[in-house]
Amino acid sequence: MTSFLTRRLLLAVPILLGVSVVVFITIKLIPGDPVASLLGPNATPAARADLVSRLGLNRAVPVQYAHWLWSSVQGDLGTSISLQQPVASLVLKAFGNTLLLVAAALILAVAGGVVLGTVVALKPRSLVGRIVGGFSIGSISVPQYTVALLLLLFAVETGALPTGGMHDTGVTGFGDLLQHLLLPAIAAAVTPMGIVARMFAVSLADVLGQEFVASMRARGLTRAAIVRHAMHNALPSLLTITGLQVGYLLGGVLFVEVIFSWPGLGQLVFQAISSRDMPLIQAGVLLSAVVLVLVNVVVDTAHALVDPRVRN
Amino acid sequence: MPGRDTIRRTRAEDITLRADDTRQVLTVEGLEVTFKRRQGEIKAVRGVDFSLTAGRTLVLLGESGCGKSVTARAILRLYGRSARLGGSVRLGETELTTLDDTTMSQLRGATIGMVPQDPSGSLDPLRAVGAQIVEVLRRHDVEPDGPKARVIAAGLLERVGIHDSQRVLRSFPFELSGGMRQRIAIAIAIACRPRVLIADEPTTALDVTVQAQVLKLFTELQRDLNMALLLVTHDVGVTRFVGDEVAVMYAGRLVETGPVGQVLDRPGHPYTAGLLDAMPLPGIPRGALRAIPGRPPGSDEHVADDACALAPRCAFANAECSHHRPPLIEVAPGQLAACDVVGGVVPRSTPLEAAHA
Amino acid sequence: MSATTVDLAHAGAATRRPSYLTRLRARPPGVLVGGGIVLLLVLIALLAPVLAPYSATDGAISQRLWNVGTIGHSLGTDGQGRDILSRLIWGARPTLVAGVVPVAIAGILGTLLGIVAGLGRTGVRSGIMRTLDVLYAFPAILLAIAIGAALGPGVNNAIISLSIVLIAPIARVAESEVLRLRAADFMEAARASGASWPTIALRQVVPNIAPALLVYCTSLVGLAIVYAAGLSFLGLGVVPPHPDWGGMLNDLRANLYDRPLLALVPAFAIFIASIAFNVLGDGLKQLFDVHEGSAA
Repeated sequence: MTSFLTRRLLLAVPILLGVSVVVFITIKLIPGDPVASLLGPNATPAARADLVSRLGLNRAVPVQYAHWLWSSVQGDLGTSISLQQPVASLVLKAFGNTLLLVAAALILAVAGGVVLGTVVALKPRSLVGRIVGGFSIGSISVPQYTVALLLLLFAVETGALPTGGMHDTGVTGFGDLLQHLLLPAIAAAVTPMGIVARMFAVSLADVLGQEFVASMRARGLTRAAIVRHAMHNALPSLLTITGLQVGYLLGGVLFVEVIFSWPGLGQLVFQAISSRDMPLIQAGVLLSAVVLVLVNVVVDTAHALVDPRVRN
Repeated sequence: MPGRDTIRRTRAEDITLRADDTRQVLTVEGLEVTFKRRQGEIKAVRGVDFSLTAGRTLVLLGESGCGKSVTARAILRLYGRSARLGGSVRLGETELTTLDDTTMSQLRGATIGMVPQDPSGSLDPLRAVGAQIVEVLRRHDVEPDGPKARVIAAGLLERVGIHDSQRVLRSFPFELSGGMRQRIAIAIAIACRPRVLIADEPTTALDVTVQAQVLKLFTELQRDLNMALLLVTHDVGVTRFVGDEVAVMYAGRLVETGPVGQVLDRPGHPYTAGLLDAMPLPGIPRGALRAIPGRPPGSDEHVADDACALAPRCAFANAECSHHRPPLIEVAPGQLAACDVVGGVVPRSTPLEAAHA
Repeated sequence: MSATTVDLAHAGAATRRPSYLTRLRARPPGVLVGGGIVLLLVLIALLAPVLAPYSATDGAISQRLWNVGTIGHSLGTDGQGRDILSRLIWGARPTLVAGVVPVAIAGILGTLLGIVAGLGRTGVRSGIMRTLDVLYAFPAILLAIAIGAALGPGVNNAIISLSIVLIAPIARVAESEVLRLRAADFMEAARASGASWPTIALRQVVPNIAPALLVYCTSLVGLAIVYAAGLSFLGLGVVPPHPDWGGMLNDLRANLYDRPLLALVPAFAIFIASIAFNVLGDGLKQLFDVHEGSAA
């Protein structure tokens, strides 16, 4: 198992290097003079010179990359142009809040998706199965900002739940946090839940159609026992599906954060877009991608724990 | 076999069978299996009669798609609601076609064991072999205690010729060969000492050398456990090796039944004769094999109830065959065949003669 | 024991697959409903000058924030007094374009990469696929935002960034379809007959992988519309005052507390467009008999 994990982590290294190259390149995509477009036309020559040297723009591109990568690995992700603060601390603080939201949404999405997908797989032609099938295609299509707006509207009209932020002013309790978390988490979870439901239904139905399930019936095992075996066999694909949803959520919660004023990375990136604060955007994207790569390592490891065929 | 003393019979079995019942264990009468499909109903089995006797083997022989596997699975009601059963299947005195689902499920694997066709797909790929055997032992109350059940499981593996049983119990199916997996499937099927064992093409997916070993195992187990064995195959050689009686099936019906030696040496139905002629024998050039022309009717094709289904492929067929379905009649003591035209033993040139012709 | 086999004929009758036309006559509901809505959206976009009752860019401040259902402005007016229905109709153009064009561009490039990877030598394949893995490692919308933010706002830049993001998933589907084909005998036969690989790609591969890719790309349009509108929502799409649904959503969001229904209009328009393409994709999947999983 340790050797599996080591191998898998080694495989992640080139991916991480590739990710860093892509993130580095984005700043090179800025058309025209990057310094002018980042600082605006009224920048002082001193500020210009400072940015040029900080971005290393006066050196060859590979050197710039090496320099940038080296400082990034050391935790120096540059300085925010609009906020004039170190990007790393800004991003890390916000990312914690984003992870909280992503985790809550993921739990909702996987729990709901597994239940719905099981219903569809066990009773594909029943009325419930059809309704759930219809719900899942609807939820896959619905943009997270549409759901978020609807839920926000619900909060505004009923006053039952807070309409934004993480805490009421001056309150810090866990219950208060949960209240603030509920609607954003649901808004973020709807689409992944539909995808999980749909894909899990397919893999569970696939397992149920396999020969060993018929053999288990012939051995007199109870329906509950057979479904248990089938679920176990559908677990590897559920892990894969879940990994994909983490990727979807890490990006998609941005809209939910903006609409519910959740103080996460998405909120930060949204503010950075209007000021074209590229270092901040780059750091946010880099951090999300690195986390996603690590999540995939975890998913693959869990996969190997479940399936002895993958272990060897 | 180890752990024999701890083996208890299931309650369902107490109802249906007395321990000393050595005669007809399972009786199938007029069995019909109809599948509902979107295009309409498909009659896969159209009235089949046979009975299984303790300690004897009946081979169900025929080409693919003639309904023999469907018959075997229908006995265990494995098709659930997707198929409609007609006629009667009796285990001792108990009618299985109308039995409640719970009792039926208790009978499966306990009183009636089944060995599936494909050993690679018959086991849960993610569970160790031992856990899967123990699961069946516990389900049928053979041994509710886990560690004790594991001891029985090891004994079962030894019984089917697996000698490093402790290692195999810990193994996952993918780590074992096809022959090994089939032995395990057999071990599970006999775990509860069933009165009836149904084996659906149990050697088809195996290497030739392994086939012989597994068939030998079947005959030994059957003798030792005094089981009634129903073996489904398309293989004339397998039939001769394990069978006491044979029932030849075509297009959902039996066309010939009788003692194996008698039927295979002196077939009374042109279809049986055709199967024999298509079998390669040592020393006979393959070119001398005569295949039956055409193919059996597919599941989506209509088969008239008042015609001999073989007529379009049969060298003996006359005009009458398309309007009249011949019943099974006795052509020799204990041997029944459904052919009016031949009305006795099918006249055949031996393959050797054919080769020299 | 001899391996005697009396399997005289192939198991089961070879059932002829009905032609697409026959199956279309059977009316897969997904194709009709999804395709119908898509057609309607395209017509609305094309006929915008005829259909839109007012200007999409000019409004009267005196008429600002009229609610849904106002006579004369059935879907209300926005914060600058512009007619929302007219903006919705005109906005269909950039919204659809920004959804369809990236999928078309990425569809062509991704399929090409997938075919080269699938047919190429091991080195070529792993080179292409590992590079795509890097793009795949990003949360899709964040990568689009990073590229879009660097390039600056505008429909063209949104299209470029979405195209880059969509190449990797399409290439993956294409490659796995090609690998599936490679296992089939007729490809071996074609290669044995001395056909060059571009010939094989064009004659054997493209026609065979086209249905699965078409189905996948159709569903991706639904996603691309959501993403494109999302980029506009964040200020990276259509430049004001021109209307598009994502931008309208952002404008009207500001008035959510006093005129909640207004913001829901573009939000639902995006939903309808997205679900239409997903339903159409599902219908095409049935029509072409594409196995589940390849276009999941």
